[in-house]
Amino acid sequence: MKKNTFKLILIAVVALVSVWSIWPTYRDYALTKKLKSFGSGADSLKFALDHRDEIEQARDKSLKLGLDLKGGMHLVMEVDILDLIDQKAWNKDENFSRIMDKVRRKAGESGDNVVNLLAAEFRAENIKLSRYFYDLRDSDQEVISKLNSESQDALSRAREIIRNRIDQYGVAEPVIQTQGSRRLIIELSGVTDEARVRRLLMGTAKLEFKLVKEPQQLLRAVERAGTAPLQASALAVAADSSQTAAAGKGPKKLSEVIGVMPNGQVFTPAYAYDLVSAALKRADVVAMLPQDTQLLLSAKPEQTAKGEQYYLIYLVQKTPELTGGVITEAKATFSSQDAQPEVLMSMNDEGTSKWARITGANIGKQIAIVLDGSIYSAPVVQSRIPSGNSVINGIGSLEEAKDLEIILKAGSLPAPVRILEERTVGPSLGSDYIRDGMLSVLWGFAAVAIFMIFYYNKAGIAADLALVLNILIVISVLAGFSAALTLPGIAGIVLTIGMAVDANVLIYERVREELAEGKSLKMAIDTGYNKAFSSIFDSHVTTLAAAFLLYIYGVGPVQGFAVTLMIGTAASLFTAIVVTRVLFDLFLDSKLMNDRSFG
Amino acid sequence: MRIFHKTSFNFLKHRKIAYVISSMLLIAGLVSLFVRGLNYGIDFKGGSEVVIRFEKPVDVGTVRSIMRQAGVNGVVKQYGMDRSLLLKTDFQGNTSALKSLIGNSLSAQLPSNPAEILSIQAVGPSIASDMKMSALKALAAALVGILLYVSIRFEFKFAVAGVVAIFHDVLTVLGLFSLLGGLFDYMPLEVDQSIIAAFLTIAGYSITDTVVVYDRIRERLRGQKPSDYERIFNESINQTLSRTIITSGTTMLTVLVLFFFAGPAIRGFAFAMFAGILMGTYSSIFVAAPIIFDWQRRSKNPIKLKGA
Repeated sequence: MKKNTFKLILIAVVALVSVWSIWPTYRDYALTKKLKSFGSGADSLKFALDHRDEIEQARDKSLKLGLDLKGGMHLVMEVDILDLIDQKAWNKDENFSRIMDKVRRKAGESGDNVVNLLAAEFRAENIKLSRYFYDLRDSDQEVISKLNSESQDALSRAREIIRNRIDQYGVAEPVIQTQGSRRLIIELSGVTDEARVRRLLMGTAKLEFKLVKEPQQLLRAVERAGTAPLQASALAVAADSSQTAAAGKGPKKLSEVIGVMPNGQVFTPAYAYDLVSAALKRADVVAMLPQDTQLLLSAKPEQTAKGEQYYLIYLVQKTPELTGGVITEAKATFSSQDAQPEVLMSMNDEGTSKWARITGANIGKQIAIVLDGSIYSAPVVQSRIPSGNSVINGIGSLEEAKDLEIILKAGSLPAPVRILEERTVGPSLGSDYIRDGMLSVLWGFAAVAIFMIFYYNKAGIAADLALVLNILIVISVLAGFSAALTLPGIAGIVLTIGMAVDANVLIYERVREELAEGKSLKMAIDTGYNKAFSSIFDSHVTTLAAAFLLYIYGVGPVQGFAVTLMIGTAASLFTAIVVTRVLFDLFLDSKLMNDRSFG
Repeated sequence: MRIFHKTSFNFLKHRKIAYVISSMLLIAGLVSLFVRGLNYGIDFKGGSEVVIRFEKPVDVGTVRSIMRQAGVNGVVKQYGMDRSLLLKTDFQGNTSALKSLIGNSLSAQLPSNPAEILSIQAVGPSIASDMKMSALKALAAALVGILLYVSIRFEFKFAVAGVVAIFHDVLTVLGLFSLLGGLFDYMPLEVDQSIIAAFLTIAGYSITDTVVVYDRIRERLRGQKPSDYERIFNESINQTLSRTIITSGTTMLTVLVLFFFAGPAIRGFAFAMFAGILMGTYSSIFVAAPIIFDWQRRSKNPIKLKGA
């Protein structure tokens, strides 16, 4: 009996720690249920306020559910480092763009480091990197290390900015991690509004203040640009089929979809918006315009009295007077004049003094507020603005204005981002998964537990007790380390139930053999445990190794499976070798067992 | 209760038959892999999957034609859940646009049967090829790791035979996936990340089963002459047979529970595990030990096991 005291204490400690670790999960579940049971909202609110600390504590320490069980979004985004590199390059020529195209294609096929791909491509062509990057005297190695540090910097800045945006949007416990040299993994639980998340994550919010040119200049520019074809021949191939088909019978020249109103404003009908907006960015159209100017479209359509929608076209100076970098504060609100959503902005000191100078020098002229290449408004400057305040109006909805506020405050991304992978699970599917998962655990346990008693008699009961402790340990370790439980994780638990009894099966079969050779029960149990140990050890190590590799190389949900399999396998070493052994010793001492107890 | 009383099957005597069966399984699988290929899921192929649940049962054909009208090119299939359909497209753009396109056209065409979009998944091609690479790396690392571990704990021949058995198990299951892939709506048997998880678990299970037999052989082989090897191998397999069958049985029980209860997302995994455990049990009896035996007969040195 004495030799078991230590083991007994150990088992008691493990069991207590497990229960202690799972307790908050149970409390959380019970409290949530109670909150839902109240008839009126007032009662439930009162209860929530009274038990606030308790509820928060339970929630904080309870078992976390993965995105697939709770509902939410999992995204993998790529920061376009190549775009950043392209911006950094100078002396760009045809050779350069050809190589860049090649690199872009290769980068699209894998997650390798772009700088390395670029360097390899230049080496293959025998061109020195310094011809396009940094100083001509730099060696390739130096250029590579500079580009690498810039791209790393861009990735971590992008992560910070996206974290800011998500924090302000208000998501509980977002996960934002960098992966490799250019990817971000983002997990947002409880969020399923793809449209908003997409806007928040990808919005570059490139804000520029640009001087609007005189109406005469606009008319002249439109007249010249109007002679250009609406669609460049090369572009028609790239454009999707519906547009190409439309172009076949539709207008051929840009001037056919651009009109001039009596008041001198230039417009294009809403149906031609996509085509015109693409055409205005084309190099052959840009070349027809006066130096340092560009034609931009308004962001939101206007309506004629007959209800026809049209977009205005402006000629603005290409070099911005001021950019969004100076914005420090932004606030979404409704305009006092027409109750339309707008965003109020204030600037830092540098921006304020520049803004005062710009507005002072251009009284009576229009300044366009350009966001991501579309003109939101082009107010006429009434007086010098010394306060550094400005406003964006012409925004579709308050929600959009709020998102804009968040993006402006968080700053713009260092390079464009793309979504490579997106998985959204709605909350109702999540609760289906939980129900299915619970059912599987219950049935799996019942099937194995009943079989063990059926096949091994009293020894089976010991194995089943060990199995219960095993499941407790798995769940408590998950809760204790704040690892999220996922559907594959539940599958891992169910599979563990089936495999964890293996250690007991090995021992029991051995004990039966020893009994068959005529040994006493006590002797048989001793030898059985000793002889089975090496098999148990080897088989557990191999299973653990496979699960570990799965954890290392797997992504997302598969890792959840690997984690529960690892914990379950490790725990079964303990439960089978220590727990059942102690149980047998206790049974033997109290004469609960005899030769037939192993079935 | 006992399923097996003292058994004395002569497994080694029939090993040639087992070799033929295994070869046939492998060849059938490989032929199917080359001819039919695998039914890759979006994890490894890229594309989008949308799961839609309707309030009332719905005809797949109707939804298919609504989707075609809406300009969503793809396959609409029954999803392995009540009143649910799965839409698969190679679409890789803005999922919120796809969502509203599907939602709007369904609510316009089927106003009496409201639909809910349960989940949307979209995977780009570069991610897909990365996932393939890391899956292959994981499998390769698992095989090398097992080869090393078994070499250290037993002997090189044992390790090679164990890895051959793993190859045998994983390849036959892969062949099965290729043969049956896409045939049943209830289990499309797509190769995705969860199947890779299944393969690694199968590898772990297969070697676990094999190692238990090895362990018994090691125990019995101590100080025996090579002429007794056949008898010892046979007896060792027979003595561990009961354990092999019981453990496979309990594990298969839980895998069956997963297959029937855990929902469509786990079904492919459960199927792979079931087939894998079956093969793993078979291979530890009929593949691993016989290979060592045949190899040993050709070599002159007696088996020298570590840790014996």
